[in-house]
Formats: sequence, structure tokens, C-alpha cells
Amino acid sequence: MTGIIFTKVDNGYSGALDYNELFFYAKGIPGVGPVWYSTDVPLYDKQAMADLIKEQQLKRIVVAGDTPGMVKPFLTGAMVIAGNNPEDVVLASFREYGATDNTKIDRAKGILFCIALGVTFAEAALPEETDVQPDTLVIGGGIAGIQASLEIANGNQKVYLVERTGTLGGHMAMFDKTFPTLDCAACILTPKMVEVGQHPNIEILTYSEVKGVTGEPGNYKVKILNKARRVDLATCIGCGICTEKCPAKAPSEFDNGTTLRKAIYIPFPQAVPNKYLIDADSCTYVLKGKCGVCVKVCPVEGCIDLDAKDQEMEITVGNIIVATGFKPFDAGKIERFGYGKYPQVITSLELERLINAAGPTEGNIHFRSQDKKGNWIFSVESGMPKSFAIIHCVGSRDENYNKYCSRVCCMYSLKLAHLIKEKLEDADVFEYYIDMRAFGKGYEEFYERIENEGIHIVRGRTAKIEERNGRLMVRSEDILNDQLIEQEVDMVVLSIGLEPREDAAELAEMLGISTEEEGWFTEANYNTDPVNTFVGGITIAGVCQGPKDIPDAVAQGSAAAARVLQSIVKGKIKKSIKDMPLEKIEEKAKQFSNSMEGKS
Amino acid sequence: MKEMSQYGMGTWNACFHCGNCTAVCSLTEEGILFPRKEIRALQMGLEDKLATSVEPWLCYYCGDCTETCPRDANPGELMMSVRRWLTAKYDWTGLAGLFYKSLSALIIAFVLVAIGIVAMGFVKDFNSEAVMYFGHILEFYLILTVFTIILIPNILRMFYFTVIKAKVNAPFGSYIAAIGNLITHMFTQVKTLKCDKQTVRWLEHFLLVMGYLGLLVITVFLDWFGTENQIIIYMGYITGGLVFVFTFLLMISRLSKARELNKYSQPTDWFFIIWLFLMGFTAFLVRLFIDIDLLNDHFWIYMVHLIVVSQWGMLLVPFGKWTHFLYRSFAVSFANLKKAALIKKLATAA
Repeated sequence: MTGIIFTKVDNGYSGALDYNELFFYAKGIPGVGPVWYSTDVPLYDKQAMADLIKEQQLKRIVVAGDTPGMVKPFLTGAMVIAGNNPEDVVLASFREYGATDNTKIDRAKGILFCIALGVTFAEAALPEETDVQPDTLVIGGGIAGIQASLEIANGNQKVYLVERTGTLGGHMAMFDKTFPTLDCAACILTPKMVEVGQHPNIEILTYSEVKGVTGEPGNYKVKILNKARRVDLATCIGCGICTEKCPAKAPSEFDNGTTLRKAIYIPFPQAVPNKYLIDADSCTYVLKGKCGVCVKVCPVEGCIDLDAKDQEMEITVGNIIVATGFKPFDAGKIERFGYGKYPQVITSLELERLINAAGPTEGNIHFRSQDKKGNWIFSVESGMPKSFAIIHCVGSRDENYNKYCSRVCCMYSLKLAHLIKEKLEDADVFEYYIDMRAFGKGYEEFYERIENEGIHIVRGRTAKIEERNGRLMVRSEDILNDQLIEQEVDMVVLSIGLEPREDAAELAEMLGISTEEEGWFTEANYNTDPVNTFVGGITIAGVCQGPKDIPDAVAQGSAAAARVLQSIVKGKIKKSIKDMPLEKIEEKAKQFSNSMEGKS
Repeated sequence: MKEMSQYGMGTWNACFHCGNCTAVCSLTEEGILFPRKEIRALQMGLEDKLATSVEPWLCYYCGDCTETCPRDANPGELMMSVRRWLTAKYDWTGLAGLFYKSLSALIIAFVLVAIGIVAMGFVKDFNSEAVMYFGHILEFYLILTVFTIILIPNILRMFYFTVIKAKVNAPFGSYIAAIGNLITHMFTQVKTLKCDKQTVRWLEHFLLVMGYLGLLVITVFLDWFGTENQIIIYMGYITGGLVFVFTFLLMISRLSKARELNKYSQPTDWFFIIWLFLMGFTAFLVRLFIDIDLLNDHFWIYMVHLIVVSQWGMLLVPFGKWTHFLYRSFAVSFANLKKAALIKKLATAA
């Protein structure tokens, strides 16, 4: 007989699985005897547990819950004492198969049913196959989307790559160097961007957004909004006269607001497509109805159309790869750090641009200062700081903001410390961390190397930043040295974490995929199916699935492409797991179970 | 850990030692680091380390650490709980610990005191003059006894724990300076002003302390209920009024939980504040009844007052939250000794 033990975890959020319902469902599964909550059995007393197993004549025990693995060792011990096979303690992990909240209670039941009958859920819940359209849509033109597009296009399949901004590249294009190899980020990325731009199988739709998805796995109709670029991509020769003459300015998105750009602009010199566009929010003509300087100076007749309107198009695709990336944490939310109040408190992303040779200060670190019109920008005219504090975990690992670790900040902070030293040899650099998370290949070695470069690495979270003697005072506890540090520095760098995009939930709803509590997209199986979702034909790649660094995002891009190519080559695609009704899963599980008994 | 949770609301195991609480605190300085180190000591079960630390008394619970704690580990409440635990630790009778941990023991003690007072009234036939005379003498001796038998030995124990056992080796001169700031802090609590945005709270607390001390002097040493002196009578009204108005305000803020420090109230906190209120209020009424000549018909009001005062003096003052008045002030002095010792040590090292 099989016994079921529920390990109920009260994770405190509403909408969690209804364990009472599962408990009663479990009692009705064929072959199941006693059903308990873990608090009802002597879990931690192996002898007592073994006695209970014997008394109930249990041959198998199913441990069910969000993270049931934690109690398994106690039960295997008890099974051995009771004279059974310890391998007959099996786990029904709801979380692993994506039954994370009560809307997915049927899936949780299905998981329970399959495991109780000794069938794996993935086997029984295998959906049927259907025909697939050969074209693929990739949403997001960052490194993950670029990688996925290239993999598929190089497999001779058609790809539509939709990007919201005016250029491909995403966040990686903004970075100066990568860690731990200190390669130039642009030197790796821009060739890939150019390859995408010239690839005959890739149709790039920049300055565009996905507005609606209908249809079913293998045959999706996608509505795409092409925002008015106001510059004709086909005829623009990229001469730049328009930008030179344009009178309106706005903060540069690409340079993270560290400098200003014109209203007609090219996001950055290596942009793909390497063509200009007009930002309607700052263009004098669009705002006030008169100007038109760019039209007058443009050497190509009819290239600039200031009255162009947004357009919509519809495409048919079989697969969709979601690679929408992240949003940097808004450092202004933490008042104690004074971002927005003290000009010399800057974010890590701003520093990336300062350090970059193509950035606003030609690769030198200067103070933030006001221009003639009062805008706070960085320019080569202001002085250079001599001391820096880099503060880790800004907005991450904090119950008040984001609980999770953003995973990349430790490493990029070390990288930034190194780059500061490279630019300003005599500068003092202090890093304040909670725990140093050097988790990848070569990362720990990188940490050691940076530590030996004369950077002061302090264990202790900075609590507040105040102005003192015209400098910034950073107050932290130096835990390893049992000291309180009030360090005065010239510039403070906040290592901001990663957050899901604000419209991630909207997109998830459009596609029918699910998101987690924090807002990242949910994968089909955390361990064994990290790029698929529960919706057939929709895969996820890159940071939109959870914080990760460049190598991991690239790997996921390739993995998602493999899934897509698999379906195209086969000509068939699996329908959505989420559409499998519980009865069908039960039926299949019984079939499998019977056939297995037949064999043995 | 288990024991400490009987003294307050704790989620201290959540702490991952980032040091935010220590650094965000306006009162920490070189050599005086809290609350993270106390959490560490608690997590590791270093009872001696906690018992010999003077730091918990230096915290005035502004709530900054708890508000900004990235783990919701509530360090501010930990400091409050450690203060309760230390109060029990310093108390040689063990009653303080018993009353903190067991609400029923505290209630039984309150009932016993009340019965004693009523019995005394019964013996004296509820004759107003005799009872009031007795009450006056009782207050007088109560103060004397509590000080000599309970509080002074407990302060010495505190000195033993935090200075001698903690091996603080301070130069002789610093002891004399320490006495000076003992007096200032006992009556002004000026250190609270170093905390951010605590001025209003400090003023409330200061006026309450002044009211309380004034009322004590006026009723016990100037015989408010017996005097004919108009100035003393008015002073009594003012101080009595101060006490019950400000305790009333404190009760409201504890109920509304607007401030971080008011979010978790122990039963003993409520006893302290309600009894303080009742003391001020009943004293006010007794004198009012004397002035409008109603006391002989409503003598019960004096009986209530005497019960409240006795419960206060016999239970809450020696074994409860009242002791923070002494421990906090002495802690400032002992902390200064510690600092002086640190400076001396650094000087010899150099």
C-alpha cells in the first residue's frame, strides 16, 4: 500500500495551493492507504516512523509539497528500519512541475495521482502533437534574443525579431566589459548584431511591440505594432546631418541619462539598423507643430516623414521565443542612499557608460555636473573623483524591495572596481558587500585577483549615505574587523539589481504563460525543462526567466532555439501541458501503471 | 533563543549579518556596536556575552534598524527583549524573570497586594485618617526598602556583570566623569535626541518623567493629601495631570502602532503604562475629592489609589520596566568607562 505525507509550507502569500482539497483528493487515489500531514507523523523519530510504516503495511511513501525533498532523508531511514526499499520514498514536488498557486490545483492533483501510481508526471501529462508553422517570432533583441534568432536562422528557418527600442543590443550593448574575462562587451555583441542585421532569414522589426497573440500552439497569429520611426529605413543613408541641426534634446536612453541626445538620433554608433529615428516625446515638430529642420537639411527626398503614423501588421508563426530581459532597479526608491539627492551618487549602469570609451566622457570618470540649461549630466569639463564606494545588493536580498539575489551584481561590482583602478590608478575603491557570490567558472579566481589589486573589500551592508565636508560619508559596519566605518568618498556607485519588466505580467497574459511571485516567467520544469513553458510553442530565454549573466542568457537562447528547430524539423509540435484535463492525465497514468505491472 | 522569545517577539534567526542595523543606528560609535553583535551572541547562545553587554541599554528604540532590516529580523525588538532579559538577570530575587515570563504569576502578585491593602483597611475599620496615615508611612518605607534591598544590590550586580566580569579596565579619572553624566542622563535622557526624528518623543518622555518625579516628591515627602499649603496643592495637580495626560497619549500610540517601537507590546508594558496612568489619575481624584469635601463619603477612591501605589511600588518598580530608569542611566556611565578603557588600551598599544 502507498502512504502519502503532505509537507505543508506556509509561504504566506494568498492564492497558495489549497492543501485541504489536495488532502481529500489524495485519499481517493487508487492504491493509496493512509494520508497524513507531516505534523501528524513522528517524522524525526526514525524508529517510531518505522513502526508506523510496519503497522500500516506501507510499501511506498509519497512525500508531497512545495519542497518535499527536505524531509526525504528521515523517511528513507525509517523505510530501511522497517525492512523496505529506501528507494520507495518518492517525491511529488508541486513547485517543480509548476503547480505554484491555487489556480493550478488540477495540475497539483495530476502530479499527485501520477506519483502515487509510480508514473512520472512528465510522461503521463505528455500532450498530443499538432502541425507547426515553420516561421518563428523572437520577442526582444537583447543578447538572448539575438542568439536564439541566429541559431534558428542559421538552420535555414525564417525568424521575425521584434525589438521595442530603435536598435538591437539590449542591456549588453551598454556594458563596457564582461566578467570575468574582461572582454569588451561591444566587441562581442556588435558583430552578432551585424550578422542578425544582414541575415537573409531574419526580419528585424525594431521600434515595434507585440500587441496581441491569438491561435494555438504551432499556429499563432501575432499582431505587431510598428511605431512610427518617422525616418524611412530603406532610404536613410545615415549621414547624420539631421542630428547635427536638430534643436531639441532629451536624456539619452543608451547612455542611461548620463548625457543628452537630439530628438532625431541614432541610439549609438554601432546600432542595428544603423539608421536614425525620431523620438516623438521630445521632437519640437511633434510637440508644437512647427520646426521641420531635419526635413529641410536631409539630402534624401522623402526620407523623413514627420507626420508618419504608427502601423500594425500581422504575422503567422509556429513558435514564439520570449526574451524580454529585465528592468534595472530604481535606486531612487531607497532614500537612505540619496540617489537623486546627491549628484555624486550614481548607479552601476551609469558608471558602465562613463567608463566606456564611446560614452559621454570618452571613457574617463568625471563628476556629475549641471550644464548651462541646468540638466545634470556628465561632461569632461568637471573634475575627477579620487575615491569611490561601491555598494552591493541595492534593491536585492532585501525584504523591503526584492527578496531575491540578482546574481550578477557581485561580479559586475568587482569588475567595475577593477575598471576604476584601470582608469585612475591612485583612486581608493571600497566595496561593501553582504556575501560575495562568485558562483561561476573563473569567478572565484576573478574575486581573488581583484582583491589583490588593492581594492578595499568590506563585509558589511552600507546603511546610509550622507553629505559631509562636501563629500559623501558612507556608514557601514566592518563585520570582519569589528569596526564601524564612516568612510568619506568622492563618488558612490550603487550596484542595482534586476527586476522583471513592468509589463511582464501583461505579456504573460497575452501569451497564456505564467509568472512567479516576483514576476519572472515560469519554466516548465526548473531542473529539466528550463526554457519551455506550459504553453506549446512558447519558450523563454534570458533574464526574463530569472536573473542571470551573459553566458547563461546566451546558453538559454541556444536552448530555446533547439526546441524550436526540433519542432520545425519534425513538422510537429506538442500542445500545451496546461490544457491537459485532469481526467486525461489520470487515465493515462492508469494505462502506464497497468502496462508497467504487466511487464514486471 | 527559546528563553529570549519569552521576553519579546523575535524573528532573529532570520538575520544574515549584513550589519545594516549597526550602521543605520545614530547611537553606535567606535567600540559601541549594536544590535547586530547582540543578535550574533543570541544566535550562538553566548549567554555570558549578552549578560555582560551594556549596549542594549544604550538603544532608545527609534525603530530605524527594524524598518530598514533587509531580513525583517526585527533587531529593535531584540534590543527591547534583551533589556527585559537583563532586568531579570540583574535581579537577585529572580522575581523579575518570573513576572516577565509568567503573566499569571504577575496577576497573582497583583491580587495578593490588593488583598493585603484591603485587609489593612478592614483592620483599621476604614477610618480615613488612620488609613491615610498608614498609607503615607507605607509609601515612605516602601521606597526605602525597595532601594536598599532590591535596587541598589541589583545596580551593583549590573556593575559586576558589565564592568568587572566584562573586564573593562578603565582609568580612575573616568569613574569620576562617569558619575557626572549619570546624573544628567537620569533626569534628561538627552541621548535620545541623537536619534533621528525623536524630538517629540523625547519631550513627551521628559515631561512624563518630570511629572512622575514631581508627583513622587509631592505626595511622599511634601504630604500632598495632608498639606494646607496652596502652592504644594497646585504643584500636585500639575504633576498628577502631567502623568496621566502623557500616559494616556502613550497608550494611544501603543494602540495605533504608528511608530515602529509601538508595534509589539508585552503585557508588562501595558501594566507599566496603565498603572502609571492610574497612579496619576487616582492621586488627582483623591486630592480633588479632599478639596471639594467628598472624600469621607467616597473613601474607596483613596483605597484604590493606595492599592495602585502599593502594586506599583512593590511589584512594578523593583521587578519591572521602571528599573530602566536606573539601568539606562548607569549604562551610559558604564559605556563611558568602556570607551575610556578602549582609549587607554589603544594608547598603550601605540
